[in-house]
Amino acid sequence: MISAGIDAGAATTKGVLFRDNTIMGYRIADTGFNFLTASETIFSILLESYSIRREEIGHVYATGYGRSSISFADKSVSEITAHAKGVSFLFPGVQGIIDVGGQDSKVIVVENGRVVDFLMNDKCAAGTGKFLEYTAKALEVPISDLGELARVSDHRAAITSMCTVFAESEVISLRARGFLKEDIAAGLIRSIAQRVAVMAKRMGLKENIAFVGGVAKNAGMRAALEKELGVPLYVPFEPQITGALGAAIAAQG
Amino acid sequence: MSPTLQSLPFFQDSYELRIAQLQEERKRGIKVIGTFCLYVPDEIIFASGADRIVLCGGRADTIPVAEQSLPRNICPLIKSSFGAVIDACCGGSLACPHIPLIDVVVAEATCDGKKKMYELLTDYLPTYVLDLPQKPGSPEAREYFLSEIRKFARFMEQLTGNIITDEALRREIRSSNATKRLLHRLFALRKSDPSPIRGSEVLRVMQKQFFLSPDMFRKGISLLCDELEHVVSSGNTGPRIMISGCPMAAGNTKVPDIIEQKGGVIVVEESCTGTRSFLDLVDEDVDPWKALAERYLEIPCACMTPNDQRIARIVELAKEYNVRGVVYYTLQFCHAYNIERLRVQKALKKEGIPLLAIESDYGESDTEQIGIRVEAFLEMIA
Repeated sequence: MISAGIDAGAATTKGVLFRDNTIMGYRIADTGFNFLTASETIFSILLESYSIRREEIGHVYATGYGRSSISFADKSVSEITAHAKGVSFLFPGVQGIIDVGGQDSKVIVVENGRVVDFLMNDKCAAGTGKFLEYTAKALEVPISDLGELARVSDHRAAITSMCTVFAESEVISLRARGFLKEDIAAGLIRSIAQRVAVMAKRMGLKENIAFVGGVAKNAGMRAALEKELGVPLYVPFEPQITGALGAAIAAQG
Repeated sequence: MSPTLQSLPFFQDSYELRIAQLQEERKRGIKVIGTFCLYVPDEIIFASGADRIVLCGGRADTIPVAEQSLPRNICPLIKSSFGAVIDACCGGSLACPHIPLIDVVVAEATCDGKKKMYELLTDYLPTYVLDLPQKPGSPEAREYFLSEIRKFARFMEQLTGNIITDEALRREIRSSNATKRLLHRLFALRKSDPSPIRGSEVLRVMQKQFFLSPDMFRKGISLLCDELEHVVSSGNTGPRIMISGCPMAAGNTKVPDIIEQKGGVIVVEESCTGTRSFLDLVDEDVDPWKALAERYLEIPCACMTPNDQRIARIVELAKEYNVRGVVYYTLQFCHAYNIERLRVQKALKKEGIPLLAIESDYGESDTEQIGIRVEAFLEMIA
């Protein structure tokens, strides 16, 4: 039986088709304003791409911030449960998951594929993709270049503000003081890595940790986080789809 | 679908009756005391012939007024309460209707935020502050608190012109114990599985405990208990949850509402608007003053140190009410409860009981984020 998982995230919508214990395919697109429209689009693109009729799909499960808006889904599961399922499928034996998404970041403790504890960041953009997005803009570099840029820095600038808006003004003032672009980028990457590492340590994560979410695509970010935690991190081939994958696995029943 | 409890409207209806009662009492020269905390002994107020009403704010709309005077980063309960007072005194429209009924505020030296807010309050309302020892475990602390409540009694005598006799005090102790016993009965009914009543319904009742007169409140609780004896289930079947932490003053039901909406069943609240107010009775067989001092210092508030009895009690309650998980609720910027969370979490972990920490204010902006946490927590413990 084929099942589908839709992760209606705040920034991007992800869809995964799952069959015979393998990932058939996946798609990622910007969410835009309407969660339902974005999910419907992803779903029909998936069906079309893999030449599947709607009737061939058993169950569709939704997860993510907009999960309750996905009226065509049979059921919804929280992102926490979905990520745990998805990541445990890709990395059996994983003990911890760090997910840094567009709107929040979370740390999940997993035991045999089951969630045993979790922590989400407070209601604030600190330690999320939004932090990088805003501060990269203040640095006048595309967010995708931020990590690489940070790697060439010899003299990392100190970013002291956790608040996204204040960090943005801090970047502007560092620019005004003549700091190099790469040094400020390194400071920003370090700032978010520290913030996320504190959450991971608070949850007692030590090893066998996976790093997922859109921010995990950033190699500089991954290196900084590995340095803070002192262990290598597992990063899936497509770190953005683990929530949708988990939902699709849950939909297998 | 949850059954409609016939006795619940009694508590809503009694609001206007109570306001009218207080207005009428004031005309007859009876003094009305405003309070903010469980540490102020009701028994002394009533024994002096005065009446009392709780002033704790749970509404968001008075906070902007308060922030004209108070720092933004203090707890919403303090800001909401203060905003209601200053708005009432300036003739504003957001005012708490209780404020104009008050002769004197009897405050208490608990957390830093409240202590310093009370200093500002004196510009608007006469305010008496009851001191509390912060290390309540020693005989010296009890001795000191005894002298504090005697001093408070003299203040009440001067205010009302009545003498507080031992006999009157004993009578009021029996009265407040009767209320507490009824609450024991109500909470005992919640131990059954399924629980016959929703946690949010109990919270709304508990928020009226220090607002209504003791007679009115007891009548309502009796009616409710009688009715619940015949109710099998509130209709909710999800995991049994205990809420532990800060008080939820009238107007603040955000977190319990979210928990229930996500399918959790709240069966007990370890808070000022829960067990903390009634679990311990006052000893009726010893000197009433000493008995009061003893009982009130046993309140396990996080402003006390060390607060081992609270930690032990939470574990005990979690077992007694057979809960699957604990939602630890703190008002934003409430350092005492927030810091104490780690000790609670460790103690519960030893017993295999998971804890979800939620820190929130009175705003709506985090409703969705709290919802995700609660949903994931319920999935985790299901």
